Amino acid sequence: MNFVAAIGRVFLSFLASTGRLAMFAGVSVSHIFRPPFYPRLLLRQIIEIGYYSLPVIGLTAVFTGMVLALQSYTGFARFNAEGAVATVVVLSITRELAPVLTGLMVAGRIGAAMAAEIGTMRVTEQIDALSTLATNPYKYLIAPRLLAGLIMLPCCVLIADIIGVYGGYLVAVHKLDFNPAVYLKNSWQFLELIDVISGLVKAGVFGFLIALMGCYHGFYSKGGAQGVGSATTNAVVSASILILGCNYLITEAFFSQ
Amino acid sequence: MNSRPVKIALRGLIKSFGEKHVLRDLDLDIFEGESVAVIGASGTGKSVLLKNIVGILTPDSGSIKIDGEEVAGLAGNARDRVNRKLGMLFQGSALFDSLPLWENVGFGLMSAHGISRADARVAAIERLRQVGLDADSADRFPADISAGAQKRVGLARAIATEPEILFFDEPTTGIDPIMGDVIDNLIVKSVKELGATALTITHDMESARRIADRVALIHEGKIAWIGDVGKIDTSGNEIVDQFIHGRVEGPMSASLLGTPAA
Repeated sequence: MNFVAAIGRVFLSFLASTGRLAMFAGVSVSHIFRPPFYPRLLLRQIIEIGYYSLPVIGLTAVFTGMVLALQSYTGFARFNAEGAVATVVVLSITRELAPVLTGLMVAGRIGAAMAAEIGTMRVTEQIDALSTLATNPYKYLIAPRLLAGLIMLPCCVLIADIIGVYGGYLVAVHKLDFNPAVYLKNSWQFLELIDVISGLVKAGVFGFLIALMGCYHGFYSKGGAQGVGSATTNAVVSASILILGCNYLITEAFFSQ
Repeated sequence: MNSRPVKIALRGLIKSFGEKHVLRDLDLDIFEGESVAVIGASGTGKSVLLKNIVGILTPDSGSIKIDGEEVAGLAGNARDRVNRKLGMLFQGSALFDSLPLWENVGFGLMSAHGISRADARVAAIERLRQVGLDADSADRFPADISAGAQKRVGLARAIATEPEILFFDEPTTGIDPIMGDVIDNLIVKSVKELGATALTITHDMESARRIADRVALIHEGKIAWIGDVGKIDTSGNEIVDQFIHGRVEGPMSASLLGTPAA
Protein backbone atom coordinates (compact mmCIF):
# COMPACT_ATOMS: atom_id res chain seq x y z
CA MET A 1 0.00 0.00 0.00
CA ASN A 2 2.81 2.40 0.97
CA PHE A 3 4.61 1.53 -2.25
CA VAL A 4 1.55 2.50 -4.30
CA ALA A 5 1.20 5.71 -2.31
CA ALA A 6 4.85 6.52 -2.93
CA ILE A 7 4.40 6.05 -6.69
CA GLY A 8 1.29 8.23 -6.53
CA ARG A 9 3.16 10.97 -4.71
CA VAL A 10 5.97 10.91 -7.27
CA PHE A 11 3.47 11.04 -10.13
CA LEU A 12 1.52 13.93 -8.56
CA SER A 13 4.75 15.77 -7.90
CA PHE A 14 5.77 15.27 -11.53
CA LEU A 15 2.42 16.62 -12.74
CA ALA A 16 2.69 19.63 -10.43
CA SER A 17 6.22 20.38 -11.64
CA THR A 18 5.18 20.03 -15.27
CA GLY A 19 2.26 22.39 -14.75
CA ARG A 20 4.44 24.90 -12.95
CA LEU A 21 7.03 24.75 -15.74
CA ALA A 22 4.34 25.23 -18.40
CA MET A 23 2.93 28.26 -16.56
CA PHE A 24 6.42 29.66 -16.07
CA ALA A 25 7.17 29.25 -19.78
CA GLY A 26 3.82 30.76 -20.82
CA VAL A 27 4.18 33.82 -18.59
CA SER A 28 7.81 34.32 -19.62
CA VAL A 29 7.08 34.08 -23.35
CA SER A 30 4.19 36.52 -23.02
CA HIS A 31 6.60 39.07 -21.54
CA ILE A 32 8.84 38.83 -24.62
CA PHE A 33 6.11 40.58 -26.61
CA ARG A 34 4.85 43.07 -23.99
CA PRO A 35 6.57 46.39 -23.23
CA PRO A 36 8.63 47.67 -21.55
CA PHE A 37 11.54 45.98 -23.33
CA TYR A 38 15.11 45.80 -22.08
CA PRO A 39 17.37 45.89 -25.18
CA ARG A 40 20.50 46.41 -23.08
CA LEU A 41 19.81 43.19 -21.15
CA LEU A 42 19.02 41.33 -24.36
CA LEU A 43 22.32 42.48 -25.88
CA ARG A 44 24.20 41.37 -22.76
CA GLN A 45 22.64 37.91 -22.97
CA ILE A 46 23.29 37.68 -26.71
CA ILE A 47 26.98 38.39 -26.07
CA GLU A 48 27.06 35.96 -23.13
CA ILE A 49 25.34 33.10 -24.96
CA GLY A 50 26.74 33.69 -28.44
CA TYR A 51 30.09 35.42 -28.35
CA TYR A 52 31.53 33.91 -25.18
CA SER A 53 30.40 30.39 -26.16
CA LEU A 54 32.24 30.50 -29.49
CA PRO A 55 35.60 29.08 -28.26
CA VAL A 56 34.04 25.99 -26.69
CA ILE A 57 31.66 25.53 -29.62
CA GLY A 58 34.48 25.92 -32.14
CA LEU A 59 36.73 23.41 -30.39
CA THR A 60 33.89 20.91 -30.06
CA ALA A 61 32.97 21.28 -33.73
CA VAL A 62 36.48 21.06 -35.16
CA PHE A 63 37.39 17.92 -33.20
CA THR A 64 34.03 16.33 -33.97
CA GLY A 65 34.52 16.95 -37.69
CA MET A 66 38.06 15.57 -37.54
CA VAL A 67 37.04 12.41 -35.67
CA LEU A 68 34.06 11.90 -37.95
CA ALA A 69 36.22 12.05 -41.08
CA LEU A 70 38.72 9.62 -39.59
CA GLN A 71 36.06 7.16 -38.37
CA SER A 72 34.10 7.32 -41.62
CA TYR A 73 37.21 6.70 -43.64
CA THR A 74 38.31 3.67 -41.61
CA GLY A 75 34.79 2.25 -41.79
CA PHE A 76 34.05 2.94 -45.45
CA ALA A 77 37.48 1.75 -46.55
CA ARG A 78 36.35 -1.78 -45.70
CA PHE A 79 34.00 -1.76 -48.69
CA ASN A 80 35.79 0.77 -50.90
CA ALA A 81 33.35 3.63 -50.22
CA GLU A 82 35.93 6.25 -49.15
CA GLY A 83 34.34 8.71 -51.56
CA ALA A 84 31.31 9.01 -49.25
CA VAL A 85 33.38 10.44 -46.39
CA ALA A 86 32.78 14.07 -47.37
CA THR A 87 29.03 13.55 -47.68
CA VAL A 88 28.78 11.69 -44.38
CA VAL A 89 30.74 14.40 -42.60
CA VAL A 90 28.70 17.31 -43.96
CA LEU A 91 25.32 15.64 -43.41
CA SER A 92 26.19 14.37 -39.93
CA ILE A 93 27.52 17.74 -38.88
CA THR A 94 24.68 19.90 -40.23
CA ARG A 95 21.78 17.59 -39.36
CA GLU A 96 22.82 16.18 -35.99
CA LEU A 97 26.21 16.72 -34.47
CA ALA A 98 26.52 20.49 -34.66
CA PRO A 99 23.09 21.25 -33.14
CA VAL A 100 23.17 18.49 -30.52
CA LEU A 101 26.77 18.94 -29.38
CA THR A 102 26.48 22.73 -29.44
CA GLY A 103 23.27 22.42 -27.43
CA LEU A 104 24.89 20.16 -24.86
CA MET A 105 27.98 22.37 -24.54
CA VAL A 106 25.89 25.53 -24.18
CA ALA A 107 23.61 23.75 -21.68
CA GLY A 108 26.68 23.04 -19.57
CA ARG A 109 28.04 26.56 -19.89
CA ILE A 110 25.03 28.84 -20.09
CA GLY A 111 22.25 26.78 -18.49
CA ALA A 112 24.35 26.30 -15.38
CA ALA A 113 25.35 29.97 -15.27
CA MET A 114 21.75 31.14 -15.63
CA ALA A 115 20.52 28.82 -12.89
CA ALA A 116 23.33 29.89 -10.57
CA GLU A 117 22.86 33.62 -11.23
CA ILE A 118 19.07 33.64 -10.92
CA GLY A 119 19.16 31.16 -8.05
CA THR A 120 21.56 33.39 -6.14
CA MET A 121 19.32 36.35 -6.84
CA ARG A 122 16.39 34.34 -5.44
CA VAL A 123 18.06 33.29 -2.19
CA THR A 124 19.54 36.75 -1.57
CA GLU A 125 16.14 38.41 -2.10
CA GLN A 126 17.29 40.28 -5.21
CA ILE A 127 14.26 38.99 -7.12
CA ASP A 128 12.00 40.23 -4.31
CA ALA A 129 13.79 43.57 -4.54
CA LEU A 130 12.96 43.73 -8.25
CA SER A 131 9.27 43.36 -7.40
CA THR A 132 9.39 46.11 -4.80
CA LEU A 133 11.01 48.35 -7.43
CA ALA A 134 7.91 47.82 -9.62
CA THR A 135 9.91 45.71 -12.08
CA ASN A 136 8.50 42.41 -13.25
CA PRO A 137 11.18 39.72 -12.75
CA TYR A 138 9.81 37.66 -15.63
CA LYS A 139 10.22 40.61 -17.97
CA TYR A 140 13.57 41.77 -16.59
CA LEU A 141 15.32 38.44 -15.95
CA ILE A 142 13.63 35.67 -17.91
CA ALA A 143 12.36 37.13 -21.19
CA PRO A 144 15.75 38.50 -22.39
CA ARG A 145 17.43 35.16 -21.67
CA LEU A 146 14.79 33.13 -23.50
CA LEU A 147 14.93 35.43 -26.52
CA ALA A 148 18.73 35.48 -26.56
CA GLY A 149 18.85 31.66 -26.40
CA LEU A 150 16.33 31.40 -29.23
CA ILE A 151 18.31 33.81 -31.42
CA MET A 152 21.88 32.87 -30.64
CA LEU A 153 21.89 29.06 -30.71
CA PRO A 154 21.12 28.97 -34.48
CA CYS A 155 23.94 31.48 -35.06
CA CYS A 156 26.31 29.34 -33.00
CA VAL A 157 25.24 26.18 -34.84
CA LEU A 158 25.79 27.82 -38.22
CA ILE A 159 29.34 28.62 -37.16
CA ALA A 160 29.73 25.08 -35.75
CA ASP A 161 28.55 23.69 -39.12
CA ILE A 162 31.32 25.56 -40.95
CA ILE A 163 34.04 24.73 -38.40
CA GLY A 164 32.95 21.07 -38.17
CA VAL A 165 33.02 20.59 -41.92
CA TYR A 166 36.39 22.31 -42.03
CA GLY A 167 37.67 19.91 -39.34
CA GLY A 168 36.66 16.98 -41.55
CA TYR A 169 38.33 18.66 -44.52
CA LEU A 170 41.59 19.10 -42.58
CA VAL A 171 41.84 15.41 -41.71
CA ALA A 172 40.64 14.21 -45.11
CA VAL A 173 43.04 16.38 -47.11
CA HIS A 174 46.11 16.57 -44.86
CA LYS A 175 46.05 13.11 -43.27
CA LEU A 176 44.05 10.87 -45.58
CA ASP A 177 45.35 12.44 -48.82
CA PHE A 178 41.94 13.29 -50.31
CA ASN A 179 41.96 15.68 -53.24
CA PRO A 180 40.80 19.06 -51.81
CA ALA A 181 38.67 20.01 -54.82
CA VAL A 182 37.00 16.59 -54.96
CA TYR A 183 36.35 16.60 -51.21
CA LEU A 184 34.70 20.03 -51.38
CA LYS A 185 32.69 19.03 -54.45
CA ASN A 186 31.43 15.91 -52.67
CA SER A 187 30.57 17.97 -49.62
CA TRP A 188 28.42 20.40 -51.59
CA GLN A 189 26.96 17.92 -54.09
CA PHE A 190 24.68 16.04 -51.70
CA LEU A 191 24.05 18.85 -49.21
CA GLU A 192 20.51 20.22 -49.37
CA LEU A 193 19.06 23.35 -47.80
CA ILE A 194 16.77 21.24 -45.59
CA ASP A 195 19.83 19.64 -43.94
CA VAL A 196 21.04 23.01 -42.73
CA ILE A 197 17.57 24.37 -41.97
CA SER A 198 16.64 21.35 -39.82
CA GLY A 199 19.81 21.85 -37.78
CA LEU A 200 19.04 25.54 -37.27
CA VAL A 201 15.45 24.78 -36.21
CA LYS A 202 16.80 22.28 -33.70
CA ALA A 203 19.24 24.91 -32.48
CA GLY A 204 16.45 27.45 -31.93
CA VAL A 205 14.44 24.92 -29.91
CA PHE A 206 17.51 23.84 -27.93
CA GLY A 207 18.47 27.45 -27.19
CA PHE A 208 14.99 28.17 -25.86
CA LEU A 209 14.98 25.00 -23.74
CA ILE A 210 18.45 25.66 -22.29
CA ALA A 211 17.46 29.17 -21.23
CA LEU A 212 14.08 27.98 -19.96
CA MET A 213 15.60 25.25 -17.80
CA GLY A 214 18.31 27.53 -16.46
CA CYS A 215 15.83 30.28 -15.59
CA TYR A 216 13.16 27.94 -14.22
CA HIS A 217 15.42 26.02 -11.86
CA GLY A 218 17.15 29.22 -10.74
CA PHE A 219 13.85 31.05 -10.23
CA TYR A 220 12.45 28.35 -7.96
CA SER A 221 15.64 27.53 -6.10
CA LYS A 222 15.58 27.75 -2.32
CA GLY A 223 17.61 26.83 0.70
CA GLY A 224 20.78 28.86 0.21
CA ALA A 225 23.99 27.62 -1.40
CA GLN A 226 22.83 23.99 -1.49
CA GLY A 227 19.62 24.99 -3.23
CA VAL A 228 21.51 26.99 -5.83
CA GLY A 229 23.82 24.02 -6.40
CA SER A 230 20.86 21.71 -6.92
CA ALA A 231 19.25 24.22 -9.28
CA THR A 232 22.43 24.33 -11.36
CA THR A 233 22.64 20.54 -11.59
CA ASN A 234 18.94 20.20 -12.40
CA ALA A 235 19.16 22.89 -15.08
CA VAL A 236 21.97 21.13 -16.93
CA VAL A 237 20.54 17.61 -16.58
CA SER A 238 16.98 18.56 -17.58
CA ALA A 239 18.17 20.71 -20.51
CA SER A 240 20.42 17.87 -21.76
CA ILE A 241 17.64 15.30 -21.59
CA LEU A 242 15.19 17.65 -23.30
CA ILE A 243 17.74 18.38 -26.03
CA LEU A 244 18.20 14.67 -26.77
CA GLY A 245 14.45 13.96 -26.66
CA CYS A 246 13.49 16.95 -28.80
CA ASN A 247 16.28 16.13 -31.23
CA TYR A 248 14.54 12.86 -32.04
CA LEU A 249 11.12 14.50 -32.36
CA ILE A 250 12.37 17.25 -34.69
CA THR A 251 14.32 14.74 -36.77
CA GLU A 252 11.15 12.66 -37.04
CA ALA A 253 9.19 15.73 -38.11
CA PHE A 254 11.71 16.72 -40.80
CA PHE A 255 12.93 13.46 -42.22
CA SER A 256 10.45 10.64 -41.53
CA GLN A 257 9.03 9.21 -44.73
CA MET B 1 -2.15 60.86 15.65
CA ASN B 2 -5.44 59.12 14.90
CA SER B 3 -6.77 62.23 13.12
CA ARG B 4 -4.50 61.38 10.19
CA PRO B 5 -5.88 59.15 7.44
CA VAL B 6 -4.98 55.47 7.55
CA LYS B 7 -2.24 54.75 5.01
CA ILE B 8 -2.00 50.98 5.50
CA ALA B 9 -4.90 48.97 6.94
CA LEU B 10 -4.57 45.26 7.70
CA ARG B 11 -7.66 43.27 8.69
CA GLY B 12 -7.95 39.60 9.57
CA LEU B 13 -4.65 38.73 7.91
CA ILE B 14 -3.98 34.99 7.83
CA LYS B 15 -0.91 33.31 6.35
CA SER B 16 0.16 29.71 6.82
CA PHE B 17 2.95 27.57 5.38
CA GLY B 18 1.60 24.03 5.44
CA GLU B 19 0.83 23.19 9.05
CA LYS B 20 2.64 26.24 10.35
CA HIS B 21 0.23 29.12 11.00
CA VAL B 22 2.33 32.27 10.97
CA LEU B 23 -0.20 35.12 10.82
CA ARG B 24 -3.49 34.47 12.61
CA ASP B 25 -6.19 37.07 12.10
CA LEU B 26 -3.81 40.02 12.38
CA ASP B 27 -5.16 43.59 12.45
CA LEU B 28 -3.04 46.73 12.20
CA ASP B 29 -3.53 50.36 11.13
CA ILE B 30 -0.63 52.58 10.13
CA PHE B 31 -1.46 56.25 9.79
CA GLU B 32 -0.10 58.60 7.16
CA GLY B 33 3.27 60.09 8.01
CA GLU B 34 3.92 57.97 11.11
CA SER B 35 6.72 55.52 11.69
CA VAL B 36 5.70 52.18 13.17
CA ALA B 37 8.10 49.49 14.32
CA VAL B 38 6.85 45.91 14.52
CA ILE B 39 8.90 44.03 17.09
CA GLY B 40 8.79 40.41 18.12
CA ALA B 41 10.88 37.32 18.61
CA SER B 42 12.49 35.48 15.71
CA GLY B 43 10.05 33.29 13.79
CA THR B 44 6.93 35.12 14.90
CA GLY B 45 6.02 36.33 11.41
CA LYS B 46 7.38 39.87 11.28
CA SER B 47 9.02 39.46 7.87
CA VAL B 48 6.04 37.44 6.59
CA LEU B 49 3.78 40.35 7.56
CA LEU B 50 5.96 42.79 5.64
CA LYS B 51 6.25 40.53 2.58
CA ASN B 52 2.47 40.23 2.44
CA ILE B 53 2.08 44.01 2.42
CA VAL B 54 4.63 44.58 -0.38
CA GLY B 55 3.22 41.72 -2.49
CA ILE B 56 6.12 39.27 -2.28
CA LEU B 57 3.73 36.85 -0.51
CA THR B 58 -0.04 36.58 -0.88
CA PRO B 59 -2.12 36.16 2.29
CA ASP B 60 -4.38 33.12 2.61
CA SER B 61 -7.18 35.45 3.64
CA GLY B 62 -7.74 38.92 5.03
CA SER B 63 -7.51 42.44 3.72
CA ILE B 64 -4.53 44.70 2.99
CA LYS B 65 -5.47 48.24 2.01
CA ILE B 66 -3.03 50.93 0.96
CA ASP B 67 -4.63 54.37 0.62
CA GLY B 68 -7.98 52.61 0.83
CA GLU B 69 -7.24 50.34 -2.15
CA GLU B 70 -7.33 46.58 -1.63
CA VAL B 71 -3.90 45.25 -2.66
CA ALA B 72 -3.99 41.67 -1.34
CA GLY B 73 -3.61 39.38 -4.34
CA LEU B 74 -2.86 42.18 -6.81
CA ALA B 75 -0.50 41.11 -9.60
CA GLY B 76 1.09 42.36 -12.80
CA ASN B 77 0.73 46.02 -13.76
CA ALA B 78 -1.74 46.73 -10.93
CA ARG B 79 0.82 45.53 -8.38
CA ASP B 80 3.61 47.50 -10.09
CA ARG B 81 1.46 50.65 -9.89
CA VAL B 82 1.03 50.18 -6.13
CA ASN B 83 4.71 49.31 -5.66
CA ARG B 84 5.73 52.63 -7.25
CA LYS B 85 4.55 54.18 -3.99
CA LEU B 86 6.87 51.93 -1.98
CA GLY B 87 10.53 51.72 -1.11
CA MET B 88 12.09 48.89 0.83
CA LEU B 89 15.37 48.23 2.60
CA PHE B 90 15.94 44.47 2.81
CA GLN B 91 17.53 42.66 5.72
CA GLY B 92 20.52 41.58 3.61
CA SER B 93 20.34 44.77 1.50
CA ALA B 94 19.52 42.62 -1.60
CA LEU B 95 21.63 44.82 -3.86
CA PHE B 96 21.90 43.66 -7.47
CA ASP B 97 25.42 42.31 -7.48
CA SER B 98 25.82 42.55 -11.27
CA LEU B 99 25.19 46.31 -11.24
CA PRO B 100 27.40 49.14 -9.95
CA LEU B 101 26.16 51.05 -6.92
CA TRP B 102 24.78 53.98 -8.87
CA GLU B 103 22.69 51.63 -11.05
CA ASN B 104 21.38 49.90 -7.94
CA VAL B 105 20.27 53.23 -6.53
CA GLY B 106 18.93 54.54 -9.82
CA PHE B 107 17.27 51.26 -10.79
CA GLY B 108 13.74 52.24 -9.79
CA LEU B 109 14.08 55.61 -11.50
CA MET B 110 15.13 54.01 -14.80
CA SER B 111 13.01 50.89 -14.74
CA ALA B 112 9.73 52.03 -13.22
CA HIS B 113 9.79 55.79 -13.76
CA GLY B 114 11.35 55.96 -17.23
CA ILE B 115 14.17 58.35 -16.32
CA SER B 116 17.22 58.34 -18.63
CA ARG B 117 20.46 56.66 -17.51
CA ALA B 118 22.31 59.98 -17.43
CA ASP B 119 19.70 61.65 -15.23
CA ALA B 120 19.36 58.55 -13.06
CA ARG B 121 23.12 58.52 -12.48
CA VAL B 122 23.07 62.13 -11.31
CA ALA B 123 20.13 61.43 -8.99
CA ALA B 124 21.74 58.22 -7.70
CA ILE B 125 25.02 59.96 -6.87
CA GLU B 126 23.07 62.60 -4.95
CA ARG B 127 21.26 59.87 -2.99
CA LEU B 128 24.56 58.12 -2.28
CA ARG B 129 25.90 61.41 -0.97
CA GLN B 130 22.86 61.76 1.31
CA VAL B 131 23.63 58.42 2.94
CA GLY B 132 27.28 59.30 3.39
CA LEU B 133 28.91 57.71 0.34
CA ASP B 134 30.95 59.85 -2.03
CA ALA B 135 30.66 60.02 -5.81
CA ASP B 136 33.80 57.89 -6.24
CA SER B 137 31.90 54.88 -4.89
CA ALA B 138 29.22 55.14 -7.58
CA ASP B 139 31.00 52.82 -10.01
CA ARG B 140 31.98 50.21 -7.43
CA PHE B 141 30.05 46.95 -7.09
CA PRO B 142 28.18 45.68 -4.00
CA ALA B 143 30.78 42.95 -3.40
CA ASP B 144 33.46 45.63 -3.05
CA ILE B 145 31.90 47.38 -0.05
CA SER B 146 31.21 46.49 3.60
CA ALA B 147 27.87 45.25 4.98
CA GLY B 148 27.29 48.65 6.59
CA ALA B 149 27.93 50.45 3.31
CA GLN B 150 25.60 47.99 1.57
CA LYS B 151 22.86 48.97 4.03
CA ARG B 152 23.46 52.60 3.16
CA VAL B 153 23.20 51.84 -0.55
CA GLY B 154 20.05 49.80 0.11
CA LEU B 155 18.60 52.80 1.93
CA ALA B 156 19.60 55.12 -0.91
CA ARG B 157 17.85 52.76 -3.33
CA ALA B 158 14.73 52.66 -1.14
CA ILE B 159 14.41 56.45 -1.03
CA ALA B 160 15.60 57.19 -4.58
CA THR B 161 12.11 57.36 -6.06
CA GLU B 162 10.83 59.46 -3.13
CA PRO B 163 8.21 56.87 -2.18
CA GLU B 164 5.17 57.57 -0.01
CA ILE B 165 5.76 54.46 2.10
CA LEU B 166 9.07 53.04 3.30
CA PHE B 167 9.61 49.51 4.62
CA PHE B 168 12.68 48.51 6.59
CA ASP B 169 13.30 44.82 7.23
CA GLU B 170 15.71 44.37 10.15
CA PRO B 171 17.75 47.46 9.20
CA THR B 172 20.40 46.98 11.90
CA THR B 173 20.83 43.20 11.69
CA GLY B 174 24.32 42.05 10.76
CA ILE B 175 26.09 45.35 11.36
CA ASP B 176 27.96 46.73 14.36
CA PRO B 177 26.15 48.94 16.94
CA ILE B 178 27.83 52.15 15.76
CA MET B 179 26.86 51.51 12.14
CA GLY B 180 23.41 50.50 13.39
CA ASP B 181 23.08 53.89 15.03
CA VAL B 182 24.20 55.57 11.80
CA ILE B 183 21.64 53.60 9.75
CA ASP B 184 18.86 54.39 12.24
CA ASN B 185 19.66 58.10 12.10
CA LEU B 186 19.69 57.98 8.29
CA ILE B 187 16.31 56.24 8.33
CA VAL B 188 14.80 58.86 10.65
CA LYS B 189 16.27 61.67 8.54
CA SER B 190 15.06 60.12 5.26
CA VAL B 191 11.55 59.44 6.54
CA LYS B 192 11.22 62.99 7.85
CA GLU B 193 12.60 64.61 4.69
CA LEU B 194 10.26 62.60 2.48
CA GLY B 195 7.29 62.91 4.84
CA ALA B 196 6.83 59.21 4.25
CA THR B 197 4.93 56.58 6.19
CA ALA B 198 7.35 53.98 7.53
CA LEU B 199 7.04 50.41 8.75
CA THR B 200 10.11 48.84 10.32
CA ILE B 201 10.49 45.19 11.23
CA THR B 202 13.05 44.65 13.95
CA HIS B 203 13.93 42.74 17.08
CA ASP B 204 16.45 45.41 18.07
CA MET B 205 14.74 47.44 20.79
CA GLU B 206 17.29 50.25 20.67
CA SER B 207 16.66 50.58 16.96
CA ALA B 208 12.89 50.56 17.48
CA ARG B 209 13.15 53.31 20.08
CA ARG B 210 15.22 55.48 17.73
CA ILE B 211 13.12 54.97 14.61
CA ALA B 212 9.50 54.60 15.64
CA ASP B 213 6.61 56.82 16.71
CA ARG B 214 4.61 53.75 17.65
CA VAL B 215 5.63 50.19 18.40
CA ALA B 216 3.59 47.04 17.77
CA LEU B 217 4.56 43.69 19.23
CA ILE B 218 3.66 40.59 17.24
CA HIS B 219 3.09 37.35 19.14
CA GLU B 220 1.45 34.11 17.99
CA GLY B 221 0.50 35.68 14.67
CA LYS B 222 -1.34 38.67 16.13
CA ILE B 223 -0.52 42.15 17.37
CA ALA B 224 -0.29 41.60 21.12
CA TRP B 225 0.34 45.23 21.99
CA ILE B 226 0.58 48.55 20.15
CA GLY B 227 1.30 51.96 21.58
CA ASP B 228 3.49 55.03 21.54
CA VAL B 229 7.20 54.28 21.73
CA GLY B 230 7.47 56.32 24.93
CA LYS B 231 4.97 54.10 26.69
CA ILE B 232 6.60 50.77 25.93
CA ASP B 233 8.43 50.61 29.27
CA THR B 234 5.19 51.19 31.19
CA SER B 235 2.86 49.17 28.98
CA GLY B 236 1.83 46.80 31.76
CA ASN B 237 1.80 44.04 29.15
CA GLU B 238 3.61 40.88 30.27
CA ILE B 239 4.60 39.92 26.73
CA VAL B 240 6.09 43.35 26.03
CA ASP B 241 7.92 43.34 29.35
CA GLN B 242 9.41 39.92 28.66
CA PHE B 243 10.54 40.95 25.17
CA ILE B 244 12.08 44.32 25.98
CA HIS B 245 13.94 42.91 28.98
CA GLY B 246 14.96 39.75 27.16
CA ARG B 247 13.74 37.40 29.90
CA VAL B 248 13.72 33.66 29.27
CA GLU B 249 10.71 33.11 31.56
CA GLY B 250 7.36 34.59 30.59
CA PRO B 251 4.29 34.23 28.41
CA MET B 252 6.32 34.11 25.15
CA SER B 253 8.47 31.17 26.23
CA ALA B 254 6.06 28.32 25.56
CA SER B 255 5.35 29.28 21.95
CA LEU B 256 8.98 30.16 21.21
CA LEU B 257 10.44 26.95 22.56
CA GLY B 258 7.78 24.85 20.85
CA THR B 259 7.99 26.59 17.44
CA PRO B 260 10.84 26.11 14.99
CA ALA B 261 12.39 29.33 13.72
CA ALA B 262 10.98 30.61 10.41
